[in-house]
Amino acid sequence: MEDTPLLFAGLDVRFMVEIFPRMVQALLVTVQISALALLLGIVLGIPLGGLRVIGPRPLQLLIQGLVSYIRGTPQILHFLVVYFALPGVGILLDEYWTGVVALTVIAVGYEVEIVRAAIESVHKGQREAALAQGMTEPMAFWLILLPQATRRMLPALTNELINVIKASALLSVIAVNELTKVGNAIIYNTFYFVEVLLEVAVLYMLVIGALSWLSNYLENKVFSFGTALSTPETR
Amino acid sequence: MGEILPRLLRALATTIQISVLALLLGTVFGLLLGIARVIGPRLFYPVIDGYIFVVRSTPFALQVYAAFFLLPRAGIDLPLFVVGVLALLFNSVGYQIEIVRPALESVDKEQREAADSLGMTRWLAMWLVILPQAARRMVPPLTNELANLVKASSVLSVIAVYELTRAGHAIIASSYKFAEVLILVAALYFVTIQLLSWGAAYLERRIFTYRSGQPI
Repeated sequence: MEDTPLLFAGLDVRFMVEIFPRMVQALLVTVQISALALLLGIVLGIPLGGLRVIGPRPLQLLIQGLVSYIRGTPQILHFLVVYFALPGVGILLDEYWTGVVALTVIAVGYEVEIVRAAIESVHKGQREAALAQGMTEPMAFWLILLPQATRRMLPALTNELINVIKASALLSVIAVNELTKVGNAIIYNTFYFVEVLLEVAVLYMLVIGALSWLSNYLENKVFSFGTALSTPETR
Repeated sequence: MGEILPRLLRALATTIQISVLALLLGTVFGLLLGIARVIGPRLFYPVIDGYIFVVRSTPFALQVYAAFFLLPRAGIDLPLFVVGVLALLFNSVGYQIEIVRPALESVDKEQREAADSLGMTRWLAMWLVILPQAARRMVPPLTNELANLVKASSVLSVIAVYELTRAGHAIIASSYKFAEVLILVAALYFVTIQLLSWGAAYLERRIFTYRSGQPI
């Protein structure tokens, strides 16, 4: 009885259930690596975004150039650059951390813009008042502008997490065991094309659907006073 | 660097070819589905929305693999170039519907009412009155879409379509000159995409000023 296929709409359901635990594990790797990249991206994005607004002019231009470069070239190119360049300068990382670094590069490119837009959306009277109190520019940034800007970043950052999760599928080319890669590996071993692809797609849709619902919720309910930011969608 | 530039330029031409092809075919389907989404039978709406959801909530790389695995299995044997264009098309239509629909909805509703009062049918009004006005508003986002397609087409390198990223990868594999190749590949993409996004911004300004202050 063990090997009788249980068919539903021509799909081998028993097989789909059998691979489900491995799929969920791979999905966790996808989510973990994306969340890690998003967080590292925030750690870098806040100071860079801040400098982009209040830093010296040449630094502003440099950061702007970096952002244009990251956003104006394909994501897969960043993977290749990180994959080849890190060992080139003597930094040896395993596939997982190479993936984290590459995804962080992608995330930072968008997060700098999210931070910049959020800071600029805080009324300029706030900065002027802080400076009038004798605060320095960096103090006004950390104590006055950033706290007010933070909540406006949340919906945009949720969207950015979606973008990073989608970008993480490209890590399959450098052999990170995330969802797309594990799905492909199972296909090459078993030739259950439709079952595997369907399961992978549904798992992505569940996670991304939930995140995009959350992003809309944050935008509409929590930020009903109206200055939530949006972020462009990547593929 | 001088030696590999011609090879990379040829590959860039392939990248642009694939992207333009996907954009133009995508516009045909995008217009049809976008119009159906606005004035078609209500029955279509959940189907079209479902399609858009699937496209936007799965990674493009997965869509490429799906085309690569499933088309041959369904007995459709196509050259990789065509498989790549089809994957890109499947993806782009999902985004282009969302360019067409808002553009159609942005045309003042008095225009439709006026067409109605002249005795036009809904479809005739769409074709003669709404679409011509909406079309110009679609041009800037479609130019942007072309820039996005140029970026997205790089993913086709995973199924060995010989476009710019794949060509760069192949040259690295045979020469190990990764720094030179990556700099050139990045520069070619960057220039192409910047030109397209400046084009989009320029068109947006032109169209905006032509409408003399009316929001597009």
